[in-house]
Amino acid sequence: MSKPLDVCPECDLVLKPVQSAIGTKVDCPRCGYLLHRPRPQSIERVLALSVAGLILVLPANLLPLIGIRFMGNSNESTLWAGTVGLFAEGLWLVALLVFLASIFVPLLNITLAFLVSLHLYLKRPHPHLAHWLRWWQHLEEWAMLEVYMLGIIVACVKLSDTADVQFGFGLYAFIALLLVNVMLATSLDSYLFWQSIADLDKKTHENP
Amino acid sequence: MKTPEQTALAQHLLRCPICGHLCKLLNRRHARLCPLCGEPLHVRRPHSLQQTWALLLSSYVLYIPANIFPIMTVTQLGMTERHTIIGGIIALVEKDMAPIAVLVFIASIVVPLLKLIGLSLLLLNVQLRWQARPHLWMRIYRLIVFVGRWSMLDIFMISILVAVVDLSGGVSQVIAGSAATAFAAVVVLTMLAAKSFDPRLIWDKQHKL
Repeated sequence: MSKPLDVCPECDLVLKPVQSAIGTKVDCPRCGYLLHRPRPQSIERVLALSVAGLILVLPANLLPLIGIRFMGNSNESTLWAGTVGLFAEGLWLVALLVFLASIFVPLLNITLAFLVSLHLYLKRPHPHLAHWLRWWQHLEEWAMLEVYMLGIIVACVKLSDTADVQFGFGLYAFIALLLVNVMLATSLDSYLFWQSIADLDKKTHENP
Repeated sequence: MKTPEQTALAQHLLRCPICGHLCKLLNRRHARLCPLCGEPLHVRRPHSLQQTWALLLSSYVLYIPANIFPIMTVTQLGMTERHTIIGGIIALVEKDMAPIAVLVFIASIVVPLLKLIGLSLLLLNVQLRWQARPHLWMRIYRLIVFVGRWSMLDIFMISILVAVVDLSGGVSQVIAGSAATAFAAVVVLTMLAAKSFDPRLIWDKQHKL
């Protein structure tokens, strides 16, 4: 399926498509937009990473991230408790945003990545395949695990001034989940994924 | 500089922003969906400038309460302290935690201001057709898109403190303040504003000179 032309999405320049090998990348000659960077074994890697992510979601969400000890009192907190705490104080809009960015969207993204890559790996068409991948690409920037991690670090430094801070097992699961999420984003070769979906689409239309 | 004929607009081509599917432009005014992925296709984002201005002006308005009201209240052994965004940073400096203070300063003060001012200049640049330097404006646009999410740092930190610092008997407690809602809204609205800006407009004006 060779397209005669390509267009840069950020500056609208019409280009001749360049076939790039793995390890190289193609930039738009006018505005420098990264057009295509092929990834090795993209479908397999996305599948493997999304399975790992789905396993890590449970401990990262349910086990305590950090705990404090202060004057004989101690308390632990999970990822979920952050949302609940804000909600209980009446800041439900902020609670909703924290819930979406730290729990819901990352989980949804990993689920979508799993569904898309599993179908492409098995070469099995599905009517919603294109929608799933589209939503994954739309939602990508609203998953903010790495920003949340920085928030944990700043909170720990602030607390270490007055209280004893302890790291829970949930924190290690959370860091692993964060790494999986970052690797998912870098392993996705969207050119390859969309072409595979288009090919699968064509095949189902030819022999239904 | 490239001649106008080399843009997709001039050649009546339309590229799906999500899946890259290329199709012929049939009718400029008629919106259509991408045949492959179902994304709505537009030659240029409809009402991009108006939408971005609207979101941006709302962010400017909300930026004021976000900075003057307390973002969190810390109670420790009966003592209550209210912190604004700036106040929290000053408290960190006073406790000799300068590196963390710099980090919070960048995420909570520099990045939101950069987004507000940067997007305003970007919009003015397109609307007033300031001459030249599209590469510079493109770099500013990409920087704004890239840094957008990092201002959530303060909000996440507060949500963690609220959850973990809740010791019985009023020994220690953190309560989020009203500025948190305003600040979170500024972050989300500026992210949406950056998304609704169509970077192709930066390049369009080059041909009209």
